[in-house]
This record gives sequence, C-alpha cells and structure tokens, in this order.
Amino acid sequence: MQRSFNTLTLALIPVAIAINIAIGQIIVLLKLPVYLDSIGTVLVGLLAGPIAGLITGGLTNIIWGVSGLNPQYTPFFYVAAVIGLMAGIFARLGWARTIWMWALGGLITGVVAAIISAPTSAIVFGGVTGAGTDLIVAALRASGAGIMQATFGQGIVSDPLDKLATFVIVWLIVRALPLRLRVRFPNAEYLPK
Amino acid sequence: MIAVRDFTYTYPAAPRPALIDINLEIAPGQFVGVVGANGAGKSTLCYALSGFIPDFYRGDVKGSLSVAGRDLCKTPVAELAGEVGLVFANPFNQITGARFTVREELAFGLENLGRPRDEMVARVDEALRLTGLTELADRSPYALSGGQQQRVAIASVIVLRPKVLVLDEPTSQLDPVGAREVFETLDALTGEGATVILAEHKLEWIAAHADRVIALRGGRVAADGTPREVLADASAEELGLMPTRYTLAARLAATQGVVKRDGPLPVTLDEAREFFGGRQREGA
Amino acid sequence: MTNAFSLYTPRASALHRLHPLTMLALVVFCLVAGLALPGPWGPYVVFLLLILPLAALGQVLPNLLSTAVKIALPFAISVFLIQGLFWTGGTPVVELGPLSLKREGLWFAAQSTGRVLTVVSSFLLLSLTTRPDALMIALDQRGAPKTLTYIVLATIQIAPRFQAKARTILDAQRARGLETEGSVGRRVAALLPLVVPLVLGSIIDIEERAMALDARAFSRSGPKTSLLTLRDTSAQRAGRWLLLLGMIAVVALGIWLRRAA
Repeated sequence: MQRSFNTLTLALIPVAIAINIAIGQIIVLLKLPVYLDSIGTVLVGLLAGPIAGLITGGLTNIIWGVSGLNPQYTPFFYVAAVIGLMAGIFARLGWARTIWMWALGGLITGVVAAIISAPTSAIVFGGVTGAGTDLIVAALRASGAGIMQATFGQGIVSDPLDKLATFVIVWLIVRALPLRLRVRFPNAEYLPK
Repeated sequence: MIAVRDFTYTYPAAPRPALIDINLEIAPGQFVGVVGANGAGKSTLCYALSGFIPDFYRGDVKGSLSVAGRDLCKTPVAELAGEVGLVFANPFNQITGARFTVREELAFGLENLGRPRDEMVARVDEALRLTGLTELADRSPYALSGGQQQRVAIASVIVLRPKVLVLDEPTSQLDPVGAREVFETLDALTGEGATVILAEHKLEWIAAHADRVIALRGGRVAADGTPREVLADASAEELGLMPTRYTLAARLAATQGVVKRDGPLPVTLDEAREFFGGRQREGA
Repeated sequence: MTNAFSLYTPRASALHRLHPLTMLALVVFCLVAGLALPGPWGPYVVFLLLILPLAALGQVLPNLLSTAVKIALPFAISVFLIQGLFWTGGTPVVELGPLSLKREGLWFAAQSTGRVLTVVSSFLLLSLTTRPDALMIALDQRGAPKTLTYIVLATIQIAPRFQAKARTILDAQRARGLETEGSVGRRVAALLPLVVPLVLGSIIDIEERAMALDARAFSRSGPKTSLLTLRDTSAQRAGRWLLLLGMIAVVALGIWLRRAA
C-alpha cells in the first residue's frame, strides 16, 4: 500500500475510522437497533475504492479492539473489511450514481455481513453479543434452531437494515461534498451526481 | 529567489481563474505581506508559492512559477519539502497525528526525508528554541493551546529549513494571546534572514514588519510596494483593506488641519510619531 | 498518553521495559493458546495461569481485571441464559418452572465465556503495557508500511477528539428535542442532523490534513529514518522465536487433546 494511495485518501482513512468509532458509540447510547459503525468504511469505499475501503474496515475493528476499548470487535475485523471492499466494488460498478442501486448494494452488503460474521459469532462468542439483539438469538434457540442458524438469524434481521441506513447516509453526505474536493478522489467519476 | 511569470490558475470545476496574470520577483530574505479582501486570491497565491498548485489541487495552470530556479508547477509537492514550507490557519489540522510528542512531531518531516538521527536531534532542538517550544517538547501536541499548536506547525516546517516560508493567515483562528505568540515567533524568524510570505488581515502587524506588501483584488496584483506606499494610499480601502489606526488618525488630523504636512500618511507607530512632529517624550 | 485512544498505563515494570514486539509475541501466544486448547477448561487455564500472572508482573492486574470483567460479564450472562435454557435436546440439570438449564448448554456457555475472557484480556494486556507509537515504530522498522503506521497512530489520536465532537453535537440535538420515541425508521432519520454535519465537516478538513502531510514530505519515496529508538536484546530476540515455536506446539497440543477426547 506504499504509494497506491494519494495523500488525500491516506488522510481520509484515519478520519473515517474515527467516524466509525465515534458514531458507533453514540448509537450504542441511543439504544437503536442499528450499529451505524461503518459509515466511515463505506464512505472510503465509495470515495477511494475497494482496497482503501477494505483497509479502513479491517483497521477499525483491529484498532477498536487492540486499543483495549472494545476487544470483542477485533475478531470481526474481516467482516468490516468485506463491507468496505463491497462498498468500493459497488461504487466502481457505477451503483452509486442512483440512490436505488446504491441502497440495493447496502442490502446485499448486509446479507453478506450476516452470513460471514455468524461463524465467528458462534465459535468465539457462543452466538451472543451481550446486547439487546440477543433476544432474537434466544427466540430462535427456543424454537429449536442450532447455534449457527440462530446467530445467522440475528444477523439477517439487523445487518441489512443497518447497512441500508449506512449506505443511504453516506450517499447523502457525498452528494453534499464540495465539487472541488470530490473531483480529487480516486473514485471521482463514480460518485453520485 | 521567487519568480512568477504570467501566472494564471483555475481550480478544477471552477468557472473563472482564481489568479490572473501574476508577475512577481521576490528577493531572498524579503518579508512580503500579502493582503486583500476574502476571495481576492491570497490563499491560492500561498498554495501556488508553496508548490501545492497544481500537484495537489489539480486544475489548470498557465505561465510559470519558480523558487531558486526550480519550477514549482512541474515538481511533486513532496519533493519540495525543504525548499518551500506552508503554514495555514487551522492549527488542529496541521498536526499530523502520527507522533505522540511535540519533539517527535517536529522530527516527522526529517524522518520522511531520511535525515540521520544526530542531525535530526540538533535541528529539532534548534526549531524548538526558535519557536519557544523547548519547555513543551515532551507534551502531546494535542494537549496544547491553539497558539502553541500553531507554533508547533511553524516549527515542523522550519525544521526542514525551507528557502521560502509561506504562511496563510496563521493567526485567523487564534485568540489574541495566541496571535501574539505567533507574531513573536515570526519576528524571531525574520531576524534569521528567512524569505517569508505572509497572507494576513492584521495590517498593523504587516505594516510594522513587512519589507513589501502585495495587495490582491479579484485574482490580480492590484498594488505592490512598501507598506506605506500600499497601505496608506487612498485607494487601499477600495481593495477592501482597513487602514491602520495610525493612518486613520493622521488622515483625520490632516483634514481637520491639526497637522500640516505633505507626503504619505503613516502606517506604523514610528511613522506616526514622525508625522505628528517627531517629538517623543522619554518613557512615554 | 491521556490524549490518545489507548489504555496504556505507564509503570516501572519488567513488562513495560520489553521491546514492543516481544510483548506482541507474548500476547499473541496467550491468544493462540486460549483458542487452541480444548474447552471449557483450556481458555481458563490460559487466563488464570498466564494472563493474570503477566498482568500482575506488569503491575496492571486491577486495571485488567476490572475492564475484562466489565466487558465479559454481559456476554457471560447472555450466553449462560440463552444456551443454558434453550439448548436443543440437552440433559436438564436445574428445573426453573417450565424451563430448565441443560448440562450441554452450560458446558458450551462456560467454554464461550472462557474464550471471550481470553480474547479480551489478551488485548487488554497488550494495550495496558505497550505504548502504541512504540509498537507501530517497531513494526515499521521490521518493514511494515509507513502508511500503516500513520493510519494507526493518527486514528488513535483523532478518535477521542471525534468522540468528544460527536457527544457535543448529540447534546445539542437532545437539547433541541432529538426524536427518541417513534418507529425505528423515524429515530434513525432523526439522527441525520447529528451524523451528517460531523462527517461532512471532517471530510472537508482532510484537505488541510493532507496538505500538512505533504508539506512534511510524507508522500516522498525513498528511505526514511526514525527519531525514536527502541531497545532490543538478543535474549528478547531468542524469546520471540521461542514464543513462535510455542504457538505451533500449543496448536498441536490442542489438536492432539481434541483427538484423544
């Protein structure tokens, strides 16, 4: 990654990770059934491409965890990385030009996130997060679902909604960015008009 | 030292140029104040003189701009650290965040240039001394006041010993105490013989310290001369410049006939003393 | 270090004097051992016999214990209740009215709790005893990209400032009557005035942040040097190799124990 990014992208990544963390923690305080802890990741994917998005997502969870503040997030670093990667790929496919395709990209990303996070959730964390969404896991287990299915069931209820909201918020933000700044990002030609 | 020839620049996606037909020669060691209303092109001129145009901002360039014979428009900005340095208004954004102490923050540029450690230590110590930061060297840059952070920004640039130091309104986001700290630091630096370009709204300070003032309007050079020539001129107000209190007092005194004197109005305290009769009481 | 997003706690301990890479190897060993050894006892052995004594040596035992428990407790409660009560076809051990706790569920919950405890406390041990800037510089002296060092260190210094900013905006929105009732969609939409200005303002700021980096030759290619020097010893280098071998051994042991069971 030495010179594959311009300085603007490099300066963006730490700010994006800080946005993930700051907003993610505010949402926890508000007790909403979404996480919104990948706004920065999706933003980088959209502005700077899949690899930059991947790095932003992965490092968010690693830094959040290794700093000692939220160690339970670190094992999911690959999920966050895939979210950034997918946002970047959807952007390159031109899906960000209209909000409908971009929102669809958010839903698909949410489904993928639910699928790939389930194994780690089940194996490392016994299928629970210690948060309110555990009620869904409880209900599914009570109705006879296996640990992996129950965990995935929890994810498939919360993740697509969360990623949909995240993608839409990011789209609105990017559209509000000054043109002078937008034209200088690697993905300039794929951004919403 | 600096030569600007027929320089015209348009930002990407902008309808009209931000700078138009600029021609300037700036001698080594000169302290140049750049003045003008908001939107006159002060910041753009600063970015151009420090190599950020067009490498960083992209956009469309005509003409040439060189420092010590090196064409800034054809050199990547990262290769120019050590040749030209830029300090701008927001102190928080200028702290790289990549280092945990003031001392290490100052060394960041030298590390990127691959300077040997011994040289780094000596140059960092010197920059700390020049900016009065020696006492704060082991603090976190984020734990400092705005004025102190701005001095860190200045120190991080002068530690690279640029031939030209460009400052774009370095005091505009500081309180009066912070602004005074920054001006005192600049005073110490100009004493060292550096070539300094300072875009600034605080004209009294420019009047007292600059060798030369360039006034911009609508992207063009509207006036260029000594502070007294530019700032005391009747046309200064048309350029959106607020005359200094000395000029205002002298103009009032002249129109009311209190003082009868020909020649230019004063822009500094010393010139005002001379204008009002040159009598100076000791200890006053 | 109070200004950075880090739990680093300065102490005059042997652990704090270690080269950051030695500390990293030690923590990764704890993590690998905790996850490789079969449950439910494996992770607890690592936690009790390795992580806690190391934390004591680093004079950060109270910090580590209180933070680890605070994070692991909600998990533990959740996992014991859910997997204990709703384990499909398990052997009931305690009857609770219409429900019952199942032995297999409790067994599974104990294992999960152990793993969470090991993961959390390993990271806490690293974070409490190792300066993040020293760790990153050690990594980049070993050939990790400079850009990675920049991203990590800038993040941990910027993040606390963003949290403070986000909290200020949240308080302001609350004072103006942020929607806390109503449907989920409505409440999420009510967040937009909180989220959009925060993000937009910080993205506009990155232009200046990038300029400051370029003015300090950040994107220049070629060799770079470092002001901060780190003390390493041949004993520590040997120790790191031993820990690496130990990781392989403990993974093998874990596989063998699972086969034997």
